[in-house]
Amino acid sequence: MSGLFDQFKEWYEKRHDYARAWKGRTGGQVVATMCTYTPEEVLIAAGMLPVRVLGAHEPQNVTEPHIFGMFCPFCRDSLAQGLLGRFDYCEGVTLTQSCIQYRQAFNSWRMHVPTVKWDYYLPMPNEVQSRFARVMHYAEVKKFREFMEGVIGRKIPDADLKRSIEVLNENRRLLRELFEFRKETNPRVTGVEALYASLTAQFVDKEEHNRELQRVLAEVAKRPNDREEGIRFMTIGSENDDIAFMAMVESVGSTIVIDDQCSGTRYFWNEARVQDDPIATIADRYCERPACPTKDYPAHTRFDHVLKLAKDYNARAAIFLQQKFCDPHEGDYPDLKRHLEDNGIPTLFLEFDITNPLGPFRIRVEAFLETLREEELF
Amino acid sequence: MADTAGEKKEYWRWQESCWIDESKDWRAAKIVTAGIDVGSVSSQAVVCVDGELYGFNSMRTGNNSPDSARNAIQGVLDKSGMKLEDIKYVVGTGYGRVNVPFAHKAITEIACHARGANYMGGNAVRTILDMGGQDCKAIHCDEKGKVTNFLMNDKCAAGTGRGMEVISDLMQIPIAELGQRSFDVDEEPNAVSSVCVVFAKSEALGLLKAGYTKNKVIAAYCQAMAERVVSLLERIGVEKEFFITGGIAKNPGVVKRIEKILGIQAVQTKIDSQIAGALGAALFGYTLMQKQGASAKAA
Repeated sequence: MSGLFDQFKEWYEKRHDYARAWKGRTGGQVVATMCTYTPEEVLIAAGMLPVRVLGAHEPQNVTEPHIFGMFCPFCRDSLAQGLLGRFDYCEGVTLTQSCIQYRQAFNSWRMHVPTVKWDYYLPMPNEVQSRFARVMHYAEVKKFREFMEGVIGRKIPDADLKRSIEVLNENRRLLRELFEFRKETNPRVTGVEALYASLTAQFVDKEEHNRELQRVLAEVAKRPNDREEGIRFMTIGSENDDIAFMAMVESVGSTIVIDDQCSGTRYFWNEARVQDDPIATIADRYCERPACPTKDYPAHTRFDHVLKLAKDYNARAAIFLQQKFCDPHEGDYPDLKRHLEDNGIPTLFLEFDITNPLGPFRIRVEAFLETLREEELF
Repeated sequence: MADTAGEKKEYWRWQESCWIDESKDWRAAKIVTAGIDVGSVSSQAVVCVDGELYGFNSMRTGNNSPDSARNAIQGVLDKSGMKLEDIKYVVGTGYGRVNVPFAHKAITEIACHARGANYMGGNAVRTILDMGGQDCKAIHCDEKGKVTNFLMNDKCAAGTGRGMEVISDLMQIPIAELGQRSFDVDEEPNAVSSVCVVFAKSEALGLLKAGYTKNKVIAAYCQAMAERVVSLLERIGVEKEFFITGGIAKNPGVVKRIEKILGIQAVQTKIDSQIAGALGAALFGYTLMQKQGASAKAA
């Protein structure tokens, strides 16, 4: 890794220490955010640090009294982190509507995590394709701003919102610049490195993250393209921060060159189109972003978006990282698989849980690679 | 067969075997290759001479993969008078594939079973069911034995060889007899409702208490195992010809029930189905050696 991405790695591994230090340094509030549809612009303009709740990939036994065992592992792991006190530095918790399982996890979090002082549920429309969606979401973001003004006890000026839009747009732009390096043959940025960068953007102070991205971008161009890429993979699914899995995939003769996941591109892919009204800028941005399956009907816009990503980044094949019991993604899977395969992108399906069996996964990935490679064995 | 004080019978212990083809002279061969399949329950070593099966050794895997690999190949070496240095290329496969100390290359058991099945069952084989010690796999391949699609059971070892071993011990009937005894019933029972090794064990005890004969309990377990692997097969579809590899392929109680549910006969072979992975590995070694030779000549 040559150390270039070490800061991102350290932020990821010590993310709770980072947030506590930020709080001590700035005196600002930290907010646990669930789902990447959260309009972070409002929180940042209110002087807060949005920290996305991620799991810990450890066995846990604290969520059973609160949510069903057949809720997705990401929901269960996210709730477990709250119940175990790992986010005890967060004053608030907020969820923007995506899936019903996540909403249940959020409800348990706000009711049972004792350190939570305030919570906010933002009822974003799931049918973002409806002509009424933006009108509704505009009203909801406006209400969210008013609620946050109540929390901090002062108005949030338009100028502050515009500033946070700028900072977030810069973050999105820089991440896309970084991801551009993944289009190269023998890319200078691996899937693990890219994941560290996109994940940390979701809980590190954005201005600090931007400065680190600028530093890395200046250096990464000097890296040699000497790592053999092997088979170029795309990953598809909901949240994924299983670094050990990603590293295993990239250690057996492949490179992950792009993703359609909310831990990756779906979080930052589109910038906000700046309009005079900052609330409209924010509301429209989240309606326009690459859709999560919960917000992708009646038309399946993400099928062509995913295929375009695969083609643009020259992915040879795709791996579905399916969170067990994630109904929205599982519902898309058969048609999206067919769409990719009909267009020359073979796929592999792996079912993720809170902890994942790396050995059996490795067999599947290696066997998949063997089906994709030239016929050296025959 | 009942246990006596101080003597614990291991009903689950299947027959280890070592065989070489006395009609072949390995010293006359141009290329000798080996495949070592270190699985979770059993380990096999197969030696091929010029791309043909020469000998194999099949034994239980120990607690150390490198030792299991060494012990497996040693059986063939001892029986044939061969030395390890006489083998020009070794391919490791199975769970312990990266821990075969003398292997030149590791290849997944999915690819190796498909290649082995292609050799054992002929190039018309398109669907392979590998029923191993702790997992099972449904595999599609082309006429060369190249994998085109595959599925593995998820996480749980239910419906695999280990489950059959547990039932064998519970019923106190040698594992090799289970299959035949499952047909010796007054009427075919329903499948046990769970193939989870732990739950099935409890359910089997319950059935015995309810008056089932041992044979009927075994039949119920064989049926459950067949139904489970058929559900895996049906997820990728079954195309003719159909071939079964792995230790459970030797259990007619499961195989016949799978055939009945699918309405299709599995291709028969005289070669031990348990060596398919190691055989495929040895055959890959042969191809790789041929290609190395060809590229060396070209250079």
